[in-house]
Amino acid sequence: MPYNKAYDLKVVTGAVRDDGGVPHGRLLIAFAGAVLGEGEPALAAVRASLHGAIGLAGLTDAAGVVGLFNAIDRVADATGISLETEKAKASADFRAALGVDQFDVGARVCR
Amino acid sequence: MSEYYASAPIEIRDDLAAAHARAWGRIGRSGTWWDGAQRVAIAAETRHAVSCALCRRRKEALSPAAINGTHDSLGALPEVVVEVVHRVRTDPGRLSERWFRGVIAAGLSEEQYVETISIVAHLVAIDTMAGGLGCDLPLLPQPEAGRPSQYRPPGVKPGGAWVSWLEPADLGESEVGLYPVDRPAANIMKAMSLVPEEVRSFFDVVSHQYLPPLAMRDFSREYRAISHAQIELLAARVSALNQCLY
Repeated sequence: MPYNKAYDLKVVTGAVRDDGGVPHGRLLIAFAGAVLGEGEPALAAVRASLHGAIGLAGLTDAAGVVGLFNAIDRVADATGISLETEKAKASADFRAALGVDQFDVGARVCR
Repeated sequence: MSEYYASAPIEIRDDLAAAHARAWGRIGRSGTWWDGAQRVAIAAETRHAVSCALCRRRKEALSPAAINGTHDSLGALPEVVVEVVHRVRTDPGRLSERWFRGVIAAGLSEEQYVETISIVAHLVAIDTMAGGLGCDLPLLPQPEAGRPSQYRPPGVKPGGAWVSWLEPADLGESEVGLYPVDRPAANIMKAMSLVPEEVRSFFDVVSHQYLPPLAMRDFSREYRAISHAQIELLAARVSALNQCLY
């Protein structure tokens, strides 16, 4: 991963539909979405495309990361943890730009 | 479980297959607050939750609290445990401290809650990966006999989570090595520290299914078949889809 390389983080929220500067980024974004919610027919097509792009070992590692963060998010949400102070400071600008502060668990007071 | 990967039409790194096998073994054994049968029942209920009609109606509602009803459960666990398993599995982005206080008031201990969350997380990590690869889900482990240790770390106290946790300075002899010593412990590691064995177990999976601690920010080389940038893009996209700020 080169240092000082620019990435467009808006691909993370779907606001921008390209690679975001990451090789095969658009396919990886599509794969994550398909694994989490689109059902096997759509997932099979994305899986095949990603396999063709990054190989079987890459596909396996990609599926592993999607699975792992699908779990980590649940640990974070179910225990009510917040971002560490240093990470919160360092990410304040791009969190605001991406509009993801609305996901803060501390804001969930009435459900 | 190793046999499952040996026959699967996919390529799984040996270290990852071994980590999953260790996790499966731990789920089947007696834990800290649940015994082996209860832990396997929680694992089975985690899988069953995705077909629950109540969870589906709640997921579609503006507020999950507005929808009353009974979960479609396998019937092996108390209702409050089923509520935790189903909500964490199917709608984690709308959990709140008020909901958490409610399940504790309904009779679940904080320690049982943390161990339950950990088992759900293990299942979600392994099953989501299998689904992503188009593989059948691995058979759940057979429960083993044994009694929960009921070990509660003496240093736990309220911190930056709904549940009590261990700060690095409060680790006892039994928790040596629980946190890294070369950098601050992340909140995601402290989150389940009320039950230290679950931290060890889950982060064993994390190290192999994601990256080991020292590799996360070592950008001088790549450790997986996909790059750091590709890994972090996937991680961030998943968290955005789950509406998880952390």
